[in-house]
Amino acid sequence: MDNYRSHILVCAGGGCVASGSLEVSAALREQLEKFGLSREVKVVETGCLGPCVVGPVAIVYPDGTFYQSIKPADAADIVQEHLLKGRPVTRLIYGAKPGEQPPAEALKEVPFFRRQVKTVLRNCGMIDPQRIEEYIAREGYAGLAKALTAMTPDEVVDEVKRSGLRGRGGAGFPTGLKWALTRKAVGDVKYVLCNADEGDPGAFMDRSVLEGDPHSLIEGMCIAAYGIGARQGYVYVRAEYPLAVERLTTALEQAREYGLLGKDILGTGFDFDLEIRMGSGAFVCGEETALMTSIEGRRGEPRPRPPFPANKGLWGKPSSLNNVETFANVPVILLKGADWFASLGTAKSKGTKVFALAGAVTNTGLVEVPIGTSMGEIVYEIGGGVPGGKRFKAAQVGGPSGGCIPKQHLNVPLDYESLNELGAIMGSGGLVVMDEDSCMVDVARFFLDFVQEESCGKCTPCRIGTRRMLEIVTRICQGKGRMSDLDELVELGERIKDTALCGLGQSAPNPVLSTIRHFRDEYIAHIRDQRCPAGVCPDLVRAPCQNACPAGVDVPGFVSLVGEERYAEALRHHRERNPFASICARVCFHPCESKCRRAGLDHAVAIRGVKRFMVEQETTPQLPAIKDDPARARRRVAIVGGGPAGLACGYFLARLGYKPTVFEAEAQAGGMLVQTIPSYRLPRAELQREVRMIESLGVEIRTNSKLGRDFTLQGLRADGYEAVFLGLGAPAGSRLGVPGEDTLGVTEAIRYLREYNLHGAAPTGKRVVVVGGGNAAIDAARTALRLGAESVQLLYRRTRAEMPAWIEEIEEAEHEGLKMEFLIAPLEVVSEGGRVTGLKCQRMSLGEYDRTGRRRPVGVAGSEFVVPTDHVIAAIGQTLEPGAFLGDVQVELTRNGYLVADPVTGQTSVPWIFAGGDAATGPASVVDAVGTGEKAAVGIDQFLTGTSEPFWRVEHGVDTRFDPEADPIPDDRAEMPLLPIDERCGCFAEVELTFDKVTALREARRCLRCDYRCEEA
Amino acid sequence: MSDKKIKSPADLLALRDKAKEDVELRAGGKALRITVHMGTCGIASGARDVLKQLAAELSAAGAKDVTLTQTGCAGLCDQEPMISLTDATGSMVRYGKLDAQKVGDIVRQHVLGGTPIVDYMIRA
Repeated sequence: MDNYRSHILVCAGGGCVASGSLEVSAALREQLEKFGLSREVKVVETGCLGPCVVGPVAIVYPDGTFYQSIKPADAADIVQEHLLKGRPVTRLIYGAKPGEQPPAEALKEVPFFRRQVKTVLRNCGMIDPQRIEEYIAREGYAGLAKALTAMTPDEVVDEVKRSGLRGRGGAGFPTGLKWALTRKAVGDVKYVLCNADEGDPGAFMDRSVLEGDPHSLIEGMCIAAYGIGARQGYVYVRAEYPLAVERLTTALEQAREYGLLGKDILGTGFDFDLEIRMGSGAFVCGEETALMTSIEGRRGEPRPRPPFPANKGLWGKPSSLNNVETFANVPVILLKGADWFASLGTAKSKGTKVFALAGAVTNTGLVEVPIGTSMGEIVYEIGGGVPGGKRFKAAQVGGPSGGCIPKQHLNVPLDYESLNELGAIMGSGGLVVMDEDSCMVDVARFFLDFVQEESCGKCTPCRIGTRRMLEIVTRICQGKGRMSDLDELVELGERIKDTALCGLGQSAPNPVLSTIRHFRDEYIAHIRDQRCPAGVCPDLVRAPCQNACPAGVDVPGFVSLVGEERYAEALRHHRERNPFASICARVCFHPCESKCRRAGLDHAVAIRGVKRFMVEQETTPQLPAIKDDPARARRRVAIVGGGPAGLACGYFLARLGYKPTVFEAEAQAGGMLVQTIPSYRLPRAELQREVRMIESLGVEIRTNSKLGRDFTLQGLRADGYEAVFLGLGAPAGSRLGVPGEDTLGVTEAIRYLREYNLHGAAPTGKRVVVVGGGNAAIDAARTALRLGAESVQLLYRRTRAEMPAWIEEIEEAEHEGLKMEFLIAPLEVVSEGGRVTGLKCQRMSLGEYDRTGRRRPVGVAGSEFVVPTDHVIAAIGQTLEPGAFLGDVQVELTRNGYLVADPVTGQTSVPWIFAGGDAATGPASVVDAVGTGEKAAVGIDQFLTGTSEPFWRVEHGVDTRFDPEADPIPDDRAEMPLLPIDERCGCFAEVELTFDKVTALREARRCLRCDYRCEEA
Repeated sequence: MSDKKIKSPADLLALRDKAKEDVELRAGGKALRITVHMGTCGIASGARDVLKQLAAELSAAGAKDVTLTQTGCAGLCDQEPMISLTDATGSMVRYGKLDAQKVGDIVRQHVLGGTPIVDYMIRA
């Protein structure tokens, strides 16, 4: 025998074979031959290693170097560099990115593997599944030998019982108990059956075992047969798994050849043999009674239970059916003992579970973890989180029979009971991660469509019931739903669960029920607002950018008009839905860009950049269409608060014919736009330009008029105002809540910014410390830098990735000299002689996942330290203090003290009072405020006249040219030009500059025109 | 009936032990790790022969608790061919300017016998 010094294990699981791993191993052999290494280095095709997304993968032993995405052409490098010269090929190492040091060379160091505990998949990726010797070398068939020679059948069943192993097919029935029942059943012919009819979309752990370690299944079934008293077994495997069938067939032949199947196994007198039965992929055949019917050669349909298969199963004989993953656990339990097995997992769920990780997650593939591992750990630590900077939304666990788990429950231990409580099931272990771009109604529709298609039709609840449910959900996706549909779906779903014949039907409503439970708001958005918040449902989404815009601006419309140099039209088109073209061109958080489909090609269109260029072309104010309506003009409407929400409300009311009055507490209108957003982001002339435009439509603005100080709500009523819109923002900064907060030298960010922006001066220290990670923190820090601070340091209690501030702002602040430190929270203000001298802080570490889906920072004991400072600026949040202005009027408030307003009409609990902006939503963005202001304008009109025709909401599109046949232009996204750093210091000149014309027009033409619809369609 | 048939648990154990040699390379966690430096300098000075000889002798001696692997140039090119021996505690010994006789001695005395050969070591 040759003495190999190195083994290359090439993954030959289904995924890697599909991406070309067999060509890779052939190329490796060829190269080894060429360099005379074929007797030193052995190439082994092994089972699935797990990270299928980066396949073909291979491991080089003894070093354990893990290579990804190998092409046959890479074989030369691997052989010549690694095996001949001992230099691992870094560009192929798992996790390597071009131009970066590879993170970890050896398999065991890779986070994807480090946190896994491989029991079921113990041999997958370690052995050649086609060689029984390799299985035996790793203690294969030793569990069987132990059972046959040292244990009675009862002891075997007891051992499995004690281990706490539960059915991995999904239902979690105790395996030992199932065996005991079958053992006790009367009859001399009994069967052991294996369910390898893995039908859940996305689940493939059973295939992985069949392909990568088929002997573990054979051994598990032999042991079961001995325990139960069976002599014949069947593996029911779907015909769609040809490679699995092929390898299992080979393994069966080898086992017979080695006397591990057949007569007198291991000389103990025990006889057992196995046969493969192929199913043709009907989902219902995963149900045990249907599966048995199918093995018998009849149409796969379930039958009522009892009698249970343990008493009357295959051909009416006592039968025990377990799934592949369950059987693969059995040899290890026998070998290492029930106690060892029971030491893994939770109190009620023992051992490990394999999950098929798929969807919006960086590392997709198979992962095996102890049961009870939290979902957050699987998604983030093993799965590597959600790619593309998107946010985690939910995970669908258990396929079409399961349910979804939203981000509030990232801490949930993945065990049978915890998942059931949340309306999901362990199921086969499919775990599909969904990000913000998944519509939960659409997800429910998808799974319902699947089960409806797969329903065998034998029982009415499943056949007709799921069809009715599908019709309703489809209607909702089309925007034709009714509010009563939700109750109807729940009732129908519960009824089907109770009455369907088999597990398929009983679990079919789960995806709908669990999405209604966790994402009711999203259903309501589809039904009531005709909106698909995720931008998925085609009937409700014109273009994803427009869908994402809280104000509903027709983005492709104005962008394509700019592309044709029709700037005036473009501006008017923008102002159909949002008056603040110039303001938003500067300060908008552009939710449109984060949904831009161009990002799938290269990067999102710089929509805000195009908008900025557009507004720079405005020479005469471009006013939108206005309706003259003398009747409406006579009705008096008051708007309290001259910020973006109030001004937008006034703007849209004016377009309907009203002449509303805006009451502004400060000397200038603009709200947060003028009080807190620094002028280097928003030059005041630009703000004034659009405020004046709104005034010119007939909106009166009264400054220095503060609600609660200068007038009251009841007073407005007495003066003849029939409706009032409250758009007061969230003007009060939150307190730090630490001792010493009232010391001289501690200010709150909103107050600090307001002082400078309204009064032109704000005392600023030399060593400024800003606490917080939001936009107010960054604004305050950059203002302090401009007002002469020698150093500005920002402390945030979470990590950089979790900062709510806008990324462009963070980067620019750093360029200007801001130092940021993370995982630090303030404990106490340190002072001397009544002035602040330092801030005592504590380091934080990230603990469990909180309800926002982020890991909660927890203090590290003994990590306290003092940051020297003479000026602390607290920027940890904003609130509304409603008591001061509401007076006697009782308006319902949210738990956080904001005004409760109807999301469609803006109406509060007091019919004549409407609300919008931060005062109703909590701190949000300018464009959010515009959206709520517009809705409230329509709500007020409806309230005053009983009907409303917001003519701007009628989509009329634009007549710009577009050729759907043409290839998109190849240019990548243009970066916004910026003022050089040295020209920013000490002044408030606008930092962002404008695209030149060529860049702007090219950027506009990068738009893929998702709004385009074929004429015929 | 084929001759491969396993007739008793004892047969199974025997087969396991024999087959183990095949796969134990992948297990890791060996007491001793021998690394052959195979940069261009090493190969030019005969590192390939050292590697082959080590493989053959370790196999002939039935040395189980040893990992034989390779790496690149360690920067001591004038000492090539050279090898590094690392034990379970991580402490390392480097042997340089090797030839067939030295390799044989190292296998016998250090690898199998547990006594490092001071004379062959590279000293800083």
